[in-house]
Amino acid sequence: METPHPPHFKDKDAIGHVAEVQAKGMISSTEIHGTEMPGTLAAATDAAKDTAVMLLLLWASSSFFIHTFTSEFQFLFVFSIGWLLWKFGRSAWLGWSHLERLHRIVNQEKWEIEHHREQEREELKVLYNAKGFSGKLLDDVVDVLMADGDRLLRVMVQEELGLSIECYDHPLKQGIGAAIGCFLTMLASFLCFYAFPAYGLLIGSLASIAGSSFLAAKYEQNRTVPAIIWNVGIGLLAGSFVYFFLEFLRYFSLTHS
Amino acid sequence: MNPSSAAPPSSTPAPPVFEEFFELGQESVSPFLKIDSRKWGANLTLKASIAAAFLLVGSFVLSRFPVTEPLSYILLVLVYFLAGIPSLIESVEELSDFDINIDILMTLAAFSSVFIGSGLEGGLLLVLFAFSGAMEDAVTAKAKTALSSLHKLSPTLATVVQEDGNLIERSVKDISIGTTILIKAGQVVPLDGIVIEGISSVNLVHLTGENLPIRMQEGDTVPAGGRNLEGALTLRVTLTSADSTLSKIINLVTQAQESRPVLQRWFDKLSRGYALTIISLSALFAITLPFFLDIPWRGVEGSIYRAVAFLIAASPCALIIAIPIAYLSAVSACAKKGILLKGGITLDALASCQAVSFDKTGTLTTGNLACEGIEVLEGDGDIDKALGVAYAMEKNAVHPIARAILNYVQSRNIPQVQIKDFKSIPGYGLEATLNTLGQTEPVYIGNPDYILSKLPASQKAVLMDRTAQIQESGRLLAVLLIGKIVYLLSFEDTLRPGIQDTIAALKKRRWDVVMLTGDHEASARRIANEVGIENYHADLKPEDKLRYVTNLSKEKGLAMIGDGINDAPALARATVGICMGKVGSGAAVDAADIVLLHDSIDLLDWLIEQAKKTQTIVRQNVGLAVGAILIASIPALGGFVPLWLAVVMHEGGTVLVGLNALRLLRT
Repeated sequence: METPHPPHFKDKDAIGHVAEVQAKGMISSTEIHGTEMPGTLAAATDAAKDTAVMLLLLWASSSFFIHTFTSEFQFLFVFSIGWLLWKFGRSAWLGWSHLERLHRIVNQEKWEIEHHREQEREELKVLYNAKGFSGKLLDDVVDVLMADGDRLLRVMVQEELGLSIECYDHPLKQGIGAAIGCFLTMLASFLCFYAFPAYGLLIGSLASIAGSSFLAAKYEQNRTVPAIIWNVGIGLLAGSFVYFFLEFLRYFSLTHS
Repeated sequence: MNPSSAAPPSSTPAPPVFEEFFELGQESVSPFLKIDSRKWGANLTLKASIAAAFLLVGSFVLSRFPVTEPLSYILLVLVYFLAGIPSLIESVEELSDFDINIDILMTLAAFSSVFIGSGLEGGLLLVLFAFSGAMEDAVTAKAKTALSSLHKLSPTLATVVQEDGNLIERSVKDISIGTTILIKAGQVVPLDGIVIEGISSVNLVHLTGENLPIRMQEGDTVPAGGRNLEGALTLRVTLTSADSTLSKIINLVTQAQESRPVLQRWFDKLSRGYALTIISLSALFAITLPFFLDIPWRGVEGSIYRAVAFLIAASPCALIIAIPIAYLSAVSACAKKGILLKGGITLDALASCQAVSFDKTGTLTTGNLACEGIEVLEGDGDIDKALGVAYAMEKNAVHPIARAILNYVQSRNIPQVQIKDFKSIPGYGLEATLNTLGQTEPVYIGNPDYILSKLPASQKAVLMDRTAQIQESGRLLAVLLIGKIVYLLSFEDTLRPGIQDTIAALKKRRWDVVMLTGDHEASARRIANEVGIENYHADLKPEDKLRYVTNLSKEKGLAMIGDGINDAPALARATVGICMGKVGSGAAVDAADIVLLHDSIDLLDWLIEQAKKTQTIVRQNVGLAVGAILIASIPALGGFVPLWLAVVMHEGGTVLVGLNALRLLRT
């Protein structure tokens, strides 16, 4: 005789339910600055790259509309301060948004534990059976885990939902990380721009992309050379496209006017 | 019984990560944030308010010079960002629930001000409003910790004795009535039950406030929350965790807290009416003024401009600051004297009280037992030798009476006595042998029941009579038996210094003074007579205390002063709950409105005076604030005074109420 599925599992068996919520948890934990490198550093390196590309694109296009160095410098500088505020606020907001979602998930899991203890017990059995526990040992393990509410919640959050505990930086800290990343890129780019008006900003922004890519790859223990070259290459691709397409449009409008 | 292999290792238990988060629900204790990162989330609303205040000052300064005026707008935008967005979110959410209140009025006024060129005024409104919100958050956070310590006292695990004799730890939620559980020495009883095996002393100080352990043996009922001091007890569970004694107390505190904020509800109701009236009037003026006053709808002389000016001028800027600043000043003045007020509004409630009730142990008395003396039951005895023996036996015991004996003997410089074969009989007392001049004699110390079993019939009757006499006088007793000589040591709770003067001062104010205690009649009568309280009630359970407190609070307004967990529901329900900070249990401190940090009960009279003074200043401030609103809003609507003058008058009211409130700091 087939056992009817409890409503908690929503027409799935226990392992199906575990797989579904685990996938949900994985998505939740990877959307924003992940756990492999500190959120502050991830925000800083991301923001540094974004800022560098933004400056590169603006510089590539502004030369078509602004014709004096001072005006161009002022325009890019003021624009990048606004950009810094955006990156700071946006990064912090993403962190808060993520935290809100995690809190909602953990509250929901707590409710499940309090109101569907038998189903939670079944889920634990499936999880620990898959780890090689069976028979009386499995029952004992599940009994021990079920005994302490806080410990049970930790196990369910980590093993069922696949979430990590005590590993995220505070959203405000992430925002400040992003602001620092922006600021350092601005500093490098504008110093180069001031020193070498012709190509300084290009050099500064590409150096920032290279530096932040190196830092991120180093921290994640990835290969640094491909990381630097790929990121610089993507930046150059975007910048070149803007420059040459505008060049094309200018030429086109001149010949057809 | 054998410990099962399934029992979890107790050596390295993982610290709880979710408990605090669920209790407080705050970002600063989020289990997902790194521990060193959590402090970033503490008091964020307050930090944002402070930052917004500084930015507003900066914006005001920069706006004075034409060249820096654009920069002042940058700072102003930041002010609106920090202080305005939270208000805007709250207002939109409340509006979507069709809940129109003063928050919406303030937000509407602040954001509307931008459209008539008074962005700075709007910024000021938002900053004041943000400060007010931050204070509210702080008070709410404090209130949320109220039940935290009660929950911490309540164990979440119990050691279950399985049918095969193995032990396993289970969540108390999974334990049903009839289950057998084991309580080891030093553990807190997790569930109510009947003793089926073992004898031990259980201290119920956290439940009853009385610091005297009670002997529990087969057939006795042990309440959850008591601490098992000596031997192991095996209980058959009689109540599930949802119905346990501790859960009942937690529920009583919850109910009491929820039923309390009458004043808050009154303010909410008033603010809702005020907000709705002002918003409706503004809309009405904007639409109808051109029909009566021959003015256009648009332009600086138009009805929309005047309606917005009216909305800003009528926004309760001074009203919002009038009450909190007065309470804040009073709170600071009290803090200087070691009195912690949880929200200044409790002073208002204190000023309305006409009765005060005291708990006995730990409040009228210090809660520490003191040895009153030693006497020989019959014949001649050697008092110094007896005290030496009592000291030698009690120096290793964990019991309030043991501490009292040690203090008493130490103060009398009694020579040391050597004893051997020391043994503790859980729930009864201690025994040992004494070697004097080559002769060995047994010695016993403990409660009268314990010693009675070792006496001949003739001595038994004498001891029982004397025991009854001492207990009738409200004192406690320990009996020492050396050979055949019986010694009686009597103890009593010590009165708090200066308590008689405090009671006299309260009576002079014509306040009703009552003592409510869980202790027995004789002890209550003795203390009541000594401190000068005529009206007292003894043998009260927490729910009895709560009933008395509820009635007195309704009839006259009651200030309840206590310290134990058993007082927590009454402290929460009373018009004002006052708790002793040093001796008070965590739950009582959390449930109370006022905490006497140094247990300085002698400051009670000063506190009542301060409460009355605060009430007077709050009334003056409300009058001033309402006056300022009327003076500013009506001429602004009629166009009789320019907007800048209306705003100056409006803000002048704010400054005045601030200065008036600061007078409270001088006390």
